[in-house]
Amino acid sequence: MTAGKTHGRQQAPPRLTVDVRGAFGLIGTLTKYLAVAPLLPAALALAYRESPWPFLLSAAIVAFVGLALERLGLGTAPIGFREGFLVVACTWLAAATLGALPYLLSGSPQLDRPVDAYFEAMSGFTTTGASILTDIPALDNSMLMWRQFTQWLGGMGIIVLALAVLPRLRVGGRQLLESEMPGPEVDDLADRIRSTARRLWLLYVALTAVLAGILTVFGLTGIDSRMTPFNAVAHAFSTMPTGGFSPEPRSAEEFAPATQWVLVVFMIIAGLSFTLLYRALVRQRPRALLRDEEARLYVVVLIVVSALLTIELWRGGILRGEGAIRAAVFQVVSMMTTTGFASVDFIGWPALALMILVGVMFIGGSAGSTGGSIKVVRHLLLGKAIRRELRQTVHPEAVMPIRLNGAVVDERTIRAITTFVLLYFGIFVVGAAVIALDAAFQGPTISALDAIAISATTLGNVGPGLGLAGPMGSFAEFSDLSTVVMTLLMWMGRLEVIPVIVLLTRGYWRV
Amino acid sequence: MYPAPAVKIFIIGAGQVGSTIVEALHGEHNLTVIDLDPARLTPLAYRYDIATIEANGASRRALADAGVRDADLVIACTSRDEANLVAATFARIEAPRATTVIRTSNVEYIELWREGRLDVDFVVSSEIETAHAITRVIGVPAALQTDVFADGQVQMVEYEVTELSNPDVLGKPLRQCDLVPRDSRVVSKIRGETMTIPNGATVINAGDRLVVVGSPEAAQAWGELLSPGEGVVEDVVVFGGGQVGVAIARQLLEQCIGVRLIEPDRERARRIAEELPDARVYQATGLDPDFLERERIGQAQAAVFAMREDSKNHYAATLARVHGVTFTIAIVHDPIAREVYEHSGVDVTVNPRQVTAEEIVRFAHDPRTQQVAMVEGDRFEVLDLTTSPTSGYVGLRFRDMPIRGAVIGAIVRDGKAVFPHSDDVLQAGDRVIVFTESSRVADVERVL
Repeated sequence: MTAGKTHGRQQAPPRLTVDVRGAFGLIGTLTKYLAVAPLLPAALALAYRESPWPFLLSAAIVAFVGLALERLGLGTAPIGFREGFLVVACTWLAAATLGALPYLLSGSPQLDRPVDAYFEAMSGFTTTGASILTDIPALDNSMLMWRQFTQWLGGMGIIVLALAVLPRLRVGGRQLLESEMPGPEVDDLADRIRSTARRLWLLYVALTAVLAGILTVFGLTGIDSRMTPFNAVAHAFSTMPTGGFSPEPRSAEEFAPATQWVLVVFMIIAGLSFTLLYRALVRQRPRALLRDEEARLYVVVLIVVSALLTIELWRGGILRGEGAIRAAVFQVVSMMTTTGFASVDFIGWPALALMILVGVMFIGGSAGSTGGSIKVVRHLLLGKAIRRELRQTVHPEAVMPIRLNGAVVDERTIRAITTFVLLYFGIFVVGAAVIALDAAFQGPTISALDAIAISATTLGNVGPGLGLAGPMGSFAEFSDLSTVVMTLLMWMGRLEVIPVIVLLTRGYWRV
Repeated sequence: MYPAPAVKIFIIGAGQVGSTIVEALHGEHNLTVIDLDPARLTPLAYRYDIATIEANGASRRALADAGVRDADLVIACTSRDEANLVAATFARIEAPRATTVIRTSNVEYIELWREGRLDVDFVVSSEIETAHAITRVIGVPAALQTDVFADGQVQMVEYEVTELSNPDVLGKPLRQCDLVPRDSRVVSKIRGETMTIPNGATVINAGDRLVVVGSPEAAQAWGELLSPGEGVVEDVVVFGGGQVGVAIARQLLEQCIGVRLIEPDRERARRIAEELPDARVYQATGLDPDFLERERIGQAQAAVFAMREDSKNHYAATLARVHGVTFTIAIVHDPIAREVYEHSGVDVTVNPRQVTAEEIVRFAHDPRTQQVAMVEGDRFEVLDLTTSPTSGYVGLRFRDMPIRGAVIGAIVRDGKAVFPHSDDVLQAGDRVIVFTESSRVADVERVL
């Protein structure tokens, strides 16, 4: 080709507008580094004299595939805005694959079907905490810890982690971070995205360490006889990312009240914005927490709903005294922050109490927290938008910018939030319908409320549902179709729907 | 030392502000006016005994040629902020000892000046002065005009006496009125073109305008007497979200007065709504009867018209009155418009250029003068000045003072406002708030 021809007009436009090769190259790089993760349970397996091979083999496979994908992307231009969505969506699928491999390779009869193993892994990485396990203690300690560890990795975000620790990603990273961080906007902590990501992860690690420390002390001092160091670390790995897996078959039920209260406090912390926590704790400006509108609403909702549930439990004669308060607060905090621990098996609770628990699944934590679901700030801004619409019905000419913490919120953000919430509910309804229909045809027998709860719990990354899938139950009995649907719901819920749905539009792939 | 020496003043810009300053100062001081437009200079030169120079005030050479190095005071009051700043900078180079005053509407310049980083002595902003003037009027609902002295301890208010005024004060000599608030003094009664300095025998009638000097509470009490039923203001509608409109809205909000602001431009309205969270902003012209009806503009306690065009302000003000607004305040750009406004029932007019000029004139006064307020256009002035120890009035009782055409309304002694009775004695070093005709300002400054 001569030099002149390159400027020629006859050059055909590329058929695809997305640089798939470049995108997969980046996914390969990210996956390659993820292969380090199984080394932790492998070490643990050696310590417990269990087989480390499932982990080592998985690490080898993933590293190999990652390297291969990375080679595919060699020589391509750095990826752009469009490819970001693809990278984020596929990286999470890849992460879940990595999570599932050790389960499959371990040959455990509970996890030997790929669909189930993949569900369990996706539930872990998305910090859902829904499990298809029916007999948890039957698993090796190392395998249990791997389950906890996947949640911890997914909590603050694997791409945020990659941005924080990897040398160079050949991309700016802001858009990747925005797609992965929960909430409508990313607050900067530093002028470089890399240092922001690093600070968030350091805070996350520190808080996890503090919780593990407190729980270990509880175990050692005899405050909680069941809290072994293993359990302490496992629950710290599950609480900070608002995950919900527990190596205990009865979740948090067997723990001492003091432990449960500590878990409540840390679940609440995990549901707060980490940028806000960083300002309050590291930069020592605790007033920032009090002044933040979202944090205030978050706490107020927690208190009000807990009070309602306490009254309901007390009045219904199910529990009394401190037990009622603790059960109500624990369950509300766990469901609303989308953690998914349970301190009692609430399946038998009256309908109103169950409705409250399903209702708070739609609230979620704060933006920038590790919690899932819709997020408090979206409810707050949507409420403000609704109030404005109502006022403008009476005063059509009034100009009313929406403010959050005094700063004006961009109209596009408001539109994006409205779209998000509508999409979220749309997907929730479709999910519930599919699960209900599938259950009607293939079993198991579940009620309509159960289907609703299961759709809400998986899309919101909460964990336990109602009925069979209750806090002490299991998702094992559902058909493969339902399991796949739930897996997809968890995936979409974790990425906050839009990056996934965008991939399904024609406009994404074509000009 | 006295009489106060006439000072040499350079005025750059012969627009409305410049002309108003010339009008106020030509009697006592030597003025030189510089402007590029001969059509503005000629009328001034014919009317007053001043020097006019047709030149660019923002040119260093032109300033030097005009002899700025002899000036004591340089006032740069063109309508262009940058030209004013440049002129003042050059004047500072040519005449380092002269006081420089610039007119600007640029908030950044004002902030810089407050930080002491702008090399001019005084900065006067039309927008801020206008907003001040309007908030002062709205703060005292019944007032035609008001101003505060001595850090708010003394207030001067001009009231109109109407049939609605308390019958206890109507048609009676002042000394027989029991309700007259203490700590206040009626310093002037104006009826049409005649002004009388009231004494105990003066009778107040509907149609008179009274200038009262007193404590803020007493001034309020006078308002209650003369225009009963106009209490505290909570809802003010500002028409027009230009710089002046926003400055007014901001100052009203600072005084905890509720503001509704109407601006036709969508983007501008949005920006204002973002800038002033407490104001309720509407994107509308304000000339739409449906809108006025729907938003119950008629229920507002006061409406301020701060649009760019006099005719629009006039129309909107009339429309607002039709819809029931009882108290209307309009910004006047063209001095002629004032008469039109007042004829059609607008209660108060504020001319940004005049308030600017007023503020600037302050600097030309005797250095002992702390503040000046103008009443009835520029017919009268209220001065805040410190008595000199050599004044012949020191040691006299107030009843014995032979000042003609001037009244001391209040004195500030040791930082405290005192409202003197006829037996009180003036002391050296007292700050006096004195009302006088503009033509007598120089005399007053000389004798006190």
